[in-house]
Order: sequence, then structure tokens, then C-alpha cells
Amino acid sequence: MVQAVARTLDQEMARDKRVVVMGEDVGKRGGVFLATEKLFDKYGPDRVIDSPLSEAAIIGAALGMAVHGHRPVAEIQFADYVYPGFDQLVSQVAKLRYRSGGQFSAPMVVRMPTAGGVKGGHHHSQSPEAHFVHTAGLKVVVPSTPTDTQGLLRTAIRDDDPVVFMEPKRLYRSSKEQLPDDPDFMLPYGKAAVRQEGSDVVLISYGGSMAETLKASAAMTEQGISPHVLDLRSLAPWDETAVLEAVARVGRVVLVSEAPHTASFMSEVSATIAEQVLDALLAPVARVSGFDTPYPYSHDREYLPGPNRILRAVQRVLEY
Amino acid sequence: MIRESQRFEPFTDEPISVIDEAGDWVAEFDLDLEPEQLQRFYRDMLRARIADDRFGRLQRQGRVSFVAPSAGHEAAQVGVAHAVQAGKDWLYPYYRDVGLCLAIGIPLVEIVGQNLATLADPARGRQMPYHAGSAKLNTFTMASPIASHIPPATGTAISQKIDGKGEVTICTFGDGATSEGDWHAGVNFAGAQGAPIVFVCENNGYAISVDLKRQTGSDTVHQKAHAYGMPGYYVDGMDVLAAYYVMKEVVARAREGVGPALVELVVYRYGGHSSADDDSRYRPREEVALWRGRDPLGRFRRFLEKRGLWDDAAEAAANAELEEEFTAAVKAAEEAGPIPLETMFEDVLAEMPERLRQQRDELLGRER
Repeated sequence: MVQAVARTLDQEMARDKRVVVMGEDVGKRGGVFLATEKLFDKYGPDRVIDSPLSEAAIIGAALGMAVHGHRPVAEIQFADYVYPGFDQLVSQVAKLRYRSGGQFSAPMVVRMPTAGGVKGGHHHSQSPEAHFVHTAGLKVVVPSTPTDTQGLLRTAIRDDDPVVFMEPKRLYRSSKEQLPDDPDFMLPYGKAAVRQEGSDVVLISYGGSMAETLKASAAMTEQGISPHVLDLRSLAPWDETAVLEAVARVGRVVLVSEAPHTASFMSEVSATIAEQVLDALLAPVARVSGFDTPYPYSHDREYLPGPNRILRAVQRVLEY
Repeated sequence: MIRESQRFEPFTDEPISVIDEAGDWVAEFDLDLEPEQLQRFYRDMLRARIADDRFGRLQRQGRVSFVAPSAGHEAAQVGVAHAVQAGKDWLYPYYRDVGLCLAIGIPLVEIVGQNLATLADPARGRQMPYHAGSAKLNTFTMASPIASHIPPATGTAISQKIDGKGEVTICTFGDGATSEGDWHAGVNFAGAQGAPIVFVCENNGYAISVDLKRQTGSDTVHQKAHAYGMPGYYVDGMDVLAAYYVMKEVVARAREGVGPALVELVVYRYGGHSSADDDSRYRPREEVALWRGRDPLGRFRRFLEKRGLWDDAAEAAANAELEEEFTAAVKAAEEAGPIPLETMFEDVLAEMPERLRQQRDELLGRER
């Protein structure tokens, strides 16, 4: 997946001189995860900018470059470190188009490795996407495959609105596939991917938790259960149509996300299902989530929603 | 250009003045402004003073919900405005900059429209009063969180440096802003990049009620420039020509690629922080009276009168004309009409998301 990021950045920088990359260690180092590898040598310090160690400076300066005609792709080294730049995202970036009555806009991307599973403790493992989805004026994307990363990141870079692009870091090296050759390959937001067609239970997830969701669905298939698996891919906007259609058809749904349970993005999905297709439900909506603790260092395998927890939730909705 | 750019020393012990209280020229270089330019400076200051007074009256009448008084800041704001190339350079002002916004050319009717929230506001009534902006004049729309515009201003200056077209960014703020993390983040990044930006502190000595002694252990604001590798200038902000000449010099240097600077303009706000403030709780009346006695308009008027460029008749004529201009702007802004309800859902994103469309329809349906 991380090569998909580097490759897409390279292609977009070659295509459009306005695209610049900025962040901590994105230059000679190529990023701590190598997401900007080789870009500095190819495009130089004006377009691959090593910023000071300041997330407020990175996000704020990206906004100032965007209003002046550049198309910055800012990197926050870990999503857990976005908070010093949170005010820039929420107060400045997200509201600029609105507060200026459309006079100014913020065509920029803020990339950040997100989620857990790399033994990083709570300051290298959190899933803060709900904050961004809750903020009007931002788009939020969380891909789970290299191809989706390529297609969605390209869409983000060419978008006239600010996009928070969250890359599940435990998939950076584990997730491999042949990438499309088309340098204009793009995927739209708000379109869920159907990872498996099925009729017994709908499994909905996104980002890092897609890996465990697919493991659970493979186990279910072996047991003769037919899961319908949706990967949301983008959370703002999100594919309400695909979710509601699938849930209305199947009647049973399990929502999987490693973010803390309370007021998570899946709370919104659950509420929307209840509001729109309650009559079609054959069992209560089940959620498999991270817990309402800070992300633990010692027990992150237990904290993350693994296949067994997902399977137990599936059993509950099937037996209801 | 280079010789001119070396008129002023950074980090002086006393604020730089070029006109004294009596209205006499005290600088070591020759005045090089035409009479019309000098009169224009004064007229812009008077215009800002009248706007401040009239917005205050509109607030007391209940027609404007909030004002941020700017009387006392006129020399600083007008001096800054005339040192930039409006429409080419970029401005990141803060909420008290009514005089600056007017002097760089934002139409009065737009400012009035923003404060009254009518369709005369190019931002369509999206923000509380005193939050102007103008894409036409490269003036970044203000936001309330203090100092949050500093990192974006630095970003614009970095973008200008990359483009190499000789543009400069001017970023203004009050003394309280210098305590925010974002202020340090933005100024530090500008220093590291050598970006063409001038940071301008309109230091009126108070962040609402907290004076500079409780705001910072630094004796002054400009000295903070040391830490970021840029020159800091200490300037009498009640002297319009001191503000103008120092700004002109540092803007020219930034334009030539020398890098950023920090300019501290020492001013005083005669009014409270805002229409919701009671400054008698924290400032002695004697202090306010003392500063009012150093009024920037009075000082500059004495300077002009000594040169035969202004008199009572000119004052009366300008006052009448500017009062009438304001009255006409209020009428035009009100006649532009209220902001239509359905526009509340626009400009969140380039295209309205489906869910927002549903929310809009629900609201408008209920209205019917």
C-alpha cells in the first residue's frame, strides 16, 4: 500500500506542477514509512518541503499554499499527532469555503498513517476519523487496498475541497497487489466496494479492520454462512445507498471498526440504519469496535476487533 | 532601493518615530511623499475613525450585534495599507483591522454588509461582524480563533517564494496572539523558509483585560524575532509615517528575497476589546486619557497643517463627505437585502453532498 501512495504522489507531481508535498521528514528521508520516497531527488526542495516539527505549521501552511494556487499534500507523521494541527483543520481549513462565501477554497490533502496493530501504544495507534467526519467541510477517506489507495488518493489530490486521507499503517507492507497502469485511474468517494456477495448477514467495515473482517468472512463461508461484505472506503461522504440496500435485503448487519465504541463513525451508520430501514431488520444492529479505553500497548491484539469477536457478533445476529 | 532599505535599524530600545507629538518631522532622511499622498493618509485615518464611531452607534441601536473598536489603531493600519501593493500582495488581517481593510480598497459597502449580514457581504453573512475578507484584494477571510491565521499566512508566503513573482504577504495580529502556539509555529516556519512575509503586531497593550506584563515575560513583542532569525522593528504605531516607512522598507526587502521580518506597532485602543467588554474594570481612566492625548489623527493633522496641507475647512469638508459616504453605504447594504435561508447549506463543499441536500429540503419544507 505504501508504494501505491508514493507512486500516486509521483504521478500527480509529474502531471501538475502545483502539487507539492510537505511534512516532517518527507524530503531526503522519504517519510518515516517511505511514502514520499525518491520524490525529493526528483522534484527538489521547493516541491518536497521538509517542515519544522509542527503539525499546526504543516496543516496551516498547506492551507496558505492552497489558497495561493498550489495543491499541497501534507503528511502528518502519525494520525495521533494531528491534534496540534487540529485547530488548523477544524477552524481554518474546513470552514474557509463557507466562511468566505465561496471566495476562497482549500484544495489540499492531509495524509496520515492511522489505526493500530503495529505495537505503537496509544500515540501511534489511534483511529481519530470520527473527529473529522463530525466537522463540516472536510472529506474523509480510509482505503484498505493498494488499488483503492491509488484511485482515491488521486481523486483527493485533484479535488477542490480539503481531504483527510487516512492510511491504515498495518496494511502499508502487508497489503500487496498489481496496481493499475492508467495514470488517470481514479475512484469516486461515497462508493462502497462489495468485497463479497452474500445473503445471510451484512458485514460493513473500512480501513485497517477490513483485514480482520475478510478473515471472518472467509471463516463464515467455510461454515456455510453467506456474508455480504462492504468496504466503505470513504466516510465523508459515505455510501448510504449501498449500506441501506444491503441491510434492507439481508436484514442482519454487523459493523466492524477498531475505533473506540462510543460515538464512533459506526454509531452514525447504526443510527442511519435504524432511521431508514428498521422494519427490514431481523436482528438488532451489532457493532464490533475498539474499546472505550486509550489504545493499549500490552493488549492490542485483544483491543482490535479480531475475526473471533466478529464471528461471535455474527452468531448473535443470526441466532436472534 | 537598497540604500532606502537601510533607513531603519531593528531591535531599537525606543519605538521608531518620524513625526513628534508637535507634528514636526524628526527623521534623519527626507520626506519623499507628495502632498496628495499625505492628505490621502490622513483622510484614510479619518475614514477609519468615522467608521469605528458609526459602527459603534449601529451596535448601540441594535443593528449590528458586535463591534471591535479600532480607534487608536488608525495610524498603524493606514501606514501598513499604503506600504503594500493592493491586489498583488496578500493580506492576513485580524478582526480589529477595519482601517486596514478600508485603506487597501475593500469597498465600505462590503464591510458594512458584512457587519449587517446582508447580501452586500461577499461572504454571504456567514460570520459575525468584524470578520471581513476579499478574494479580489487577496485578503484572507478572517477567523475568530486567535493566531490561527499565522500558519496559513506563512504558507502563502512560501507559495509566493516558490512562484518567484515578487509578491509579499502581510500578516497582522494583536499582542495576545503572540502567546498562541500557532503564532510560534507560523513565525518559526517562515524564518526557516526565508519566506517573503512581514508579521505585524498591533500591540495595544491588552488582550481583552490581560496586559502585556501578564501576557509574556518579554519586555516587547519585536524582540521575539531574535528567536526566529529575523529582524524585529519597534515602531511608534501612533505615527502613521513611521508605520508606513518601516513597513515600506521591510516589505521591499521581503520582495527582494531577503526574508521575513516582525514589526511591532505600539498603539492603544481607546474603546473596550469589543462591544461586550467593560474596560473600566481593568484599565485606569487616566491611562486611557493619556493615550487619547497622543491621538494619531491629531499628531498627523498638526504635521499637515504646518505644511499648509490641511486646515479647519478641509477637516469639515472631509468629515461631512465621509459621514455621508457611511450613511450611503448603510443604505446600500440594507437595500441589498437579507441573506436567503437556503444559502445556509451552500459553500460547505464545492458540490452539495446528498445528505446536506436532504437537510436543506427538510428545513425549507418545514418553513412552508
